[in-house]
Amino acid sequence: MKILIVEDEQGLRESIEEYFTEAGNICETVSDYKAAIEKVNLYRYDCILLDITLPGGSGMDILKSLKEHNHQDGVLIISAKNSLDDRLDGLNLGADDYLVKPFYLSELKARVTAIIRRKSYNGSNQLTFNEITIDLLGKEVRIGKQQVKFTRKEYALLLYFIANKGKVVSKNAIAEHMWGDSIDIADNFDFIYSHIKNIRKKLVEAGCRDYIQAAYGMGYKFTDS
Amino acid sequence: MKLLDRYNRVTLVTTIIVMVITGIIYYQTISWILTNQIDKDLVVEEHEVFDYVKLNHHLPQVFDSNDQQISFSPAVPGAVTRKFINTNYYNTKEKGNESGRGIISSVMVNGKCYRILVVESKVETEDLIQIIFGITAGVILLLLIVLLITNRLILTRLWQPFYTIMKELRLFNVTDTTDPQKVNTNIDEFEELTLAVVSMASRVKNDYKDLKTFTENASHELLTPIAVINSKLDTLIQTENFSERQSKLLNDLYMAVNKLNRLNQSLLLLVKIENRLNDEKELINLRALLEELLTQFEEIFQDKQLKLVCTINDASIYANRYLAEILLNNLLSNAIRHNYRGGEINIVLTAESLSIGNTGEGDALHEEKIFNRFHKSSGSEGSGLGLTISRQICENFGFLFNYRFQKPYHTFVVQFNAGL
Repeated sequence: MKILIVEDEQGLRESIEEYFTEAGNICETVSDYKAAIEKVNLYRYDCILLDITLPGGSGMDILKSLKEHNHQDGVLIISAKNSLDDRLDGLNLGADDYLVKPFYLSELKARVTAIIRRKSYNGSNQLTFNEITIDLLGKEVRIGKQQVKFTRKEYALLLYFIANKGKVVSKNAIAEHMWGDSIDIADNFDFIYSHIKNIRKKLVEAGCRDYIQAAYGMGYKFTDS
Repeated sequence: MKLLDRYNRVTLVTTIIVMVITGIIYYQTISWILTNQIDKDLVVEEHEVFDYVKLNHHLPQVFDSNDQQISFSPAVPGAVTRKFINTNYYNTKEKGNESGRGIISSVMVNGKCYRILVVESKVETEDLIQIIFGITAGVILLLLIVLLITNRLILTRLWQPFYTIMKELRLFNVTDTTDPQKVNTNIDEFEELTLAVVSMASRVKNDYKDLKTFTENASHELLTPIAVINSKLDTLIQTENFSERQSKLLNDLYMAVNKLNRLNQSLLLLVKIENRLNDEKELINLRALLEELLTQFEEIFQDKQLKLVCTINDASIYANRYLAEILLNNLLSNAIRHNYRGGEINIVLTAESLSIGNTGEGDALHEEKIFNRFHKSSGSEGSGLGLTISRQICENFGFLFNYRFQKPYHTFVVQFNAGL
């Protein structure tokens, strides 16, 4: 997939670029309004990660320009502005999602993957990872032909892992993805472990390979290598 | 002490002192004048005696006239000095002593010396003085009463602007958008006061606004570095081969950044609530919202082995959804965080109120302090802003937010229609 990262903060831009750069992905980056508007007028992207406050202009104007030209690029706004108004403005203007800084890269990846999936799998809505097939509409998981029952949270966690395949996902990121802001009340993340244990068990029992690896107590990695 | 009372007391005391002093002077003067009058009468009588002796060469016959008695007694020549005396007067008609005034003099009759004593009753004089004194006292009393009443009326009316200003001040709230009203008055002092109050209020509000803007900007500026740290950590853990020690350190870093981020978000939220930036209200089904949150928290209840006792009835509030979620989230988080393993959480939702109580160690919390920013119970992992935010949200909605303690239950109660 082809991704454009519009972000003026160098450190963040580089991290995102590094996280998204992998086999089959093309990442381009720009750091100001002018360069961004030139890029989006010339090339098409599967997803544009758009910061709102940019040197030389507002990300909202880039979004407007995209919609005026009827470009179908997926747009995910990444902004430090966490006000409801901004969020609504962005979504009303046609952004596909809105992520507030600071965020976990794995969360960003999951959101971007979801946007691209929505844009490109028109109709089919099937996600495949080796022997795992997921029907996104029916929220059904199959290993080969066998259907595996997952709870709502387990299903969400599996999707999250697949979106971040090959990456170490921190426990904090998982917790926040699953339970939102309320998670800071948990002193430890033992209950994540039990969810993961369940997913693992269900997958393996259905004849799936065990893709989930624990990563040094910091998090987990979903990988087939 | 009220100003009016103080004022009355001062005027009363000074009036009475002045009146008493005048009274004394008055009394002295009148009695001096009247005594003088009597003395003149006595001298006239003495001269009559002298004239009579000169003409007839013997003493006049002694008789009782109106309130006057004359007596003669032989005396050694030269031994009698002429003087006025205060003495008793024996009233033969009423058979009693009255106060009297007398003159002692001497006269030579045919070579023999006689002492003359003329005494006149002072009863009438004293009656006169009494009447005058009575009238004066009456006037003083009347004056005092009139003074008190007019003082009360005039002062209450005069001070009206003052009380109006006081009311404005009492209602003053830095977070309010409305300024205190300028009070209309044509009294210079109050005019100055109201101007001072109005300018002070706007100054305080400006300062407060600046402070808020500062907090907002500072928190905002912090977001980007936090985002960078977070993303760098995410990138760092992708590199392989960490020792156990390194991953422990990384975990701690994650936790700390997470906490920093939460703190920052809370500050931003607090500013936003105070600015009333979340004013889009809608009818919220509180029951549905609460049940949704409880499902969300399910794993955490299980993890901490908390027993949940719920009485949930239908309830709807007209409020901002985002803030309502935060409020419920905060209350539930607190109930979990300050609970012990195997404890209990009681939730009661009715149409009028929501109470969330939890078992907890320790005694009652200090009600004044817990709502302060950054007040934390020992060992709390929170930001110290949760209750402050909860209270701000309640204020914003016009709800009452209270804390109750009944060992071992710490309970927070939100009353929805407190304003009605």
